[in-house]
Amino acid sequence: MHLIDINHLTKTFDDTRALDDVSFYIDENEFITLLGPSGCGKTTLLRILGGFETPDAGSVSLSGQDILTVPAFEREVNTVFQHYALFPHLNVYDNVAFGLKMKKMAPDVIADKVSKALKMVRLGSLSKRRIQQLSGGQKQRVAIARAIVNEPKVLLLDEPLAALDLKLRQDMQYELKELQRNLGITFIYVTHDQEEALTMSDTIVVMNEGHILQIGTPVDIYNEPKTKFVAHFIGESNIIPAVMNADYRVTFEGHTFTCVDHGFETNQPVSVVIRPEDITLKQEEGIINGVVDAITFKGVHYEIIVYVNDKEYVIHSIHPQEVGTSVSLHFDAEAIHVMADV
Amino acid sequence: MFKKALAFRIWLFVFIVGPVLLLVLSALTSYSILRSGPIQVEFDALSILLDEIFIQAFLTSLKFAGYVTVISLLIGYPVAYTLSQSKSPYKRLYILALIVPVWSNMLLRIIAFEKLFYPDSILNLLGIQLDLIGTDLAIVIGMTSIYLPFMIFPIYAVLEKLDSRVLEAASDLYAHPFKRFWYVILPLSAGGIISGVLMTALPAMTTFALPERLSAGNTILLGNLIENYVMRTAQVDVASVIALGLLILMIGFYRVLLRFDAEGETLV
Repeated sequence: MHLIDINHLTKTFDDTRALDDVSFYIDENEFITLLGPSGCGKTTLLRILGGFETPDAGSVSLSGQDILTVPAFEREVNTVFQHYALFPHLNVYDNVAFGLKMKKMAPDVIADKVSKALKMVRLGSLSKRRIQQLSGGQKQRVAIARAIVNEPKVLLLDEPLAALDLKLRQDMQYELKELQRNLGITFIYVTHDQEEALTMSDTIVVMNEGHILQIGTPVDIYNEPKTKFVAHFIGESNIIPAVMNADYRVTFEGHTFTCVDHGFETNQPVSVVIRPEDITLKQEEGIINGVVDAITFKGVHYEIIVYVNDKEYVIHSIHPQEVGTSVSLHFDAEAIHVMADV
Repeated sequence: MFKKALAFRIWLFVFIVGPVLLLVLSALTSYSILRSGPIQVEFDALSILLDEIFIQAFLTSLKFAGYVTVISLLIGYPVAYTLSQSKSPYKRLYILALIVPVWSNMLLRIIAFEKLFYPDSILNLLGIQLDLIGTDLAIVIGMTSIYLPFMIFPIYAVLEKLDSRVLEAASDLYAHPFKRFWYVILPLSAGGIISGVLMTALPAMTTFALPERLSAGNTILLGNLIENYVMRTAQVDVASVIALGLLILMIGFYRVLLRFDAEGETLV
């Protein structure tokens, strides 16, 4: 049995359709990420799970029980809010203890659980601090401790790292993943940051305009995007119009290549995705030839723009190229990923 | 910049510092705006503070200010809360309806109440006959209607600014609506309540036209006492002592307010 089953959820705000017949399931102990641009419906979905929005249609069950009729304050689900939403009139300890106090737990049990939760997020020494005296990263940790101290079945996280700077965000990504493993709680994580999604998730749900476009592991989503939107959204991509001649045979840029894809109709128009890091450049004539238009140093690699027949290709390489150099593009059959045009 | 500051300083001196100095002079020396002559320090007028008539007026003022503040809070908080939660398109209109009476002359409103509280009033047309003049109830009704907006607005200002996500967080953490109100909304609106209480209680302590009209002169508050000493018995020094005492009381209250509301954000 799945931990959470989401069936045919639909939600409309005024005249925008935030969710359009969304169905999927979530397993126990899964780190699942809802990924998509702003306005794709991911936050609405999370808010429905938390109990802060009511869908127009559809159902959500947690461990087999319908939860849509259960008010937010009775759901065994806790949320880490986007801008922390800490209680400004309470100190760190009382913020974390809030949920336990509402559940009328014994004071000594509360004290014990709170200090464990604070230790887990490495805030043990700050329990008497006022919220206003904390840094962004510390506030985020309090928000996480305040949620996990209740030992919910499911933790909902609404872009929890969006307000942090890059370095801190990367550290926190790692910590969150660790926390999820140690606690054995299901995390449902909302973000628009594809790198964050790829780093942390067991499963990624890519959404756009209220629809689910693709569900899969980070590796699947990255390597086998099903649509142009997913390919674009998950990292930079070269998307090339092509025709599928037969199984394992695809034609683009005037040449026919061997590929690993099959199951298309004969001569079906398709799009080919080639990731920038899968292309190598050689300074000799090849099958696909072009001219280097621009080069940017990105730290780990160079980003090189090559024009082929007036079409722009992005290539990531550790070897720089002079602007204006004639080059040829090379890639393996495995690097060619064919998608049906939708 | 400097010129503006200078203009403000002149204004401050002529209309605030100057009058207060006159008050101090009048209260604690033989100086009088009615007479000329050498000025000597005199504490005679201070004896009013031990006089029964003063103590009586002080206690009466406290009593009415207390009634009005408590009633205004009991009515004002729910009104402010409902307004802040309202998504009605007429919300601005409701707020306007609360502000408009504040704009109209207070004396006119008091006289209007006075007319209604006599047995022969326009209310007879509706088959209603009131006989409230001279009762405590008349004063409480009149004062409450006048000072209620000053309770509502500071509370509304705070509630309106409450972060809805903080309220969602409370629900998320198992606080049902009543607990959420008690443990989150109420503490977070404490600043507004304190502002509202001070903005209602302080003017209610010092009003004089209202009790005079609605009690037919039977109820003497501190404001009436001051008016009496100035206008009827020409004891400006005694009036000054009372006024000075009230001023000190208000500064004391104001300091309390500042402690709770460092940014002054709840003061409308």
